Amino acid sequence: MKPAEAVAGALDETPGALFVSSLGTATSALRLASDDGPHLYLGGAMGCGLAVSLGVAEARRDREVVAVVGDGDLLMGAGSLWSLSGLRPGNLIVLVLDDGRYSITGGQELIASDALASVLSGLPAVSLERATSRPEVAKAIRAIPRPGVVLARIDEPTWPGPSPFVDPTRVRNRFASYASGEGSGPA
Amino acid sequence: MSSDHAPVAAPTRVPVLDWQADIATAIRGADVGAVAYVPDARLRGIVEALAGAEPEVRTLTREEECVAYACGHLLAGSRAMVLMQCSGLGNCLNAVGSLCVPYGIGVPIILSMRGTLGERNPSQVPMGRATPALLSALEIQAFPVTDPERAGATAAGALELAFSTGTCAAVVLDASLGGGREAS
Repeated sequence: MKPAEAVAGALDETPGALFVSSLGTATSALRLASDDGPHLYLGGAMGCGLAVSLGVAEARRDREVVAVVGDGDLLMGAGSLWSLSGLRPGNLIVLVLDDGRYSITGGQELIASDALASVLSGLPAVSLERATSRPEVAKAIRAIPRPGVVLARIDEPTWPGPSPFVDPTRVRNRFASYASGEGSGPA
Repeated sequence: MSSDHAPVAAPTRVPVLDWQADIATAIRGADVGAVAYVPDARLRGIVEALAGAEPEVRTLTREEECVAYACGHLLAGSRAMVLMQCSGLGNCLNAVGSLCVPYGIGVPIILSMRGTLGERNPSQVPMGRATPALLSALEIQAFPVTDPERAGATAAGALELAFSTGTCAAVVLDASLGGGREAS
């Protein structure tokens, strides 16, 4: 499945949710799948996608929050998996774009990429589902207890859509407005 | 199995120093919703003074994670801040430089100094010595506290600055305030 198809599967099932994307492929795919919706696209801070999402989820317990993170980003900030397990936000889903490679820097392999599912399956209070197609992502998002991680197997080695080099001020202002309920949601 | 891995019994509580209580009061007065924290001896009294009421204190795994967590909170409309030891500043430079600064997110950081007056651990010295330069390189204003009487007002001012202007601000707690590892 392509990254944007995985993200579209999540968007299908979570209307009105606050989305956060890690740098690179995740940001590009979310921009494409949401028609550049008012989401929190990270242009840097690799390894911080899940941590930012935890902050959003705890600040807005009344909203569903979806973290779209690359597997490389998640590995770089793997300590946040412990925080996910400890904080147990009941409104957070983590969609991992899983291809075992660092797409933004040229497709280099992650070390021990097959360890990710094992680690996730061992985290107390965190649910895990796998998906290999857009309908499977949608089904997993619909059913998984929160907090939950959906491992979405992707196979597109390039940025799938618009540039991930976002304008931070524009992203901040649109997201803050959307999160506060003042801005318009994605189409 | 799980009981085998539960934390050992909690250590004895430490007395909260007046300046630590004053900083906690400043944090509460600024309507902070969450404090992200990586443990440090000098900060411990602040956390103990915050116990039992808002804001929530979150002990996370790394300083970079604390900064990112606070950024998520702030962008979603809730005030958050970070407490860390200066040795952790190096762990979070990229989060500050590629998230807080470009996105204009004002995260207040209370930094407990190691590696300066009275330090006995050689491994703490280089990062302590580098702290002012690291903050300066990212254009983060640093507000040192050496006089315990000024701790509360300095923290309150830094919180206001960060939240109102969208720029990070650091309150730098000098070793002379006590409560840290140097004395024990």
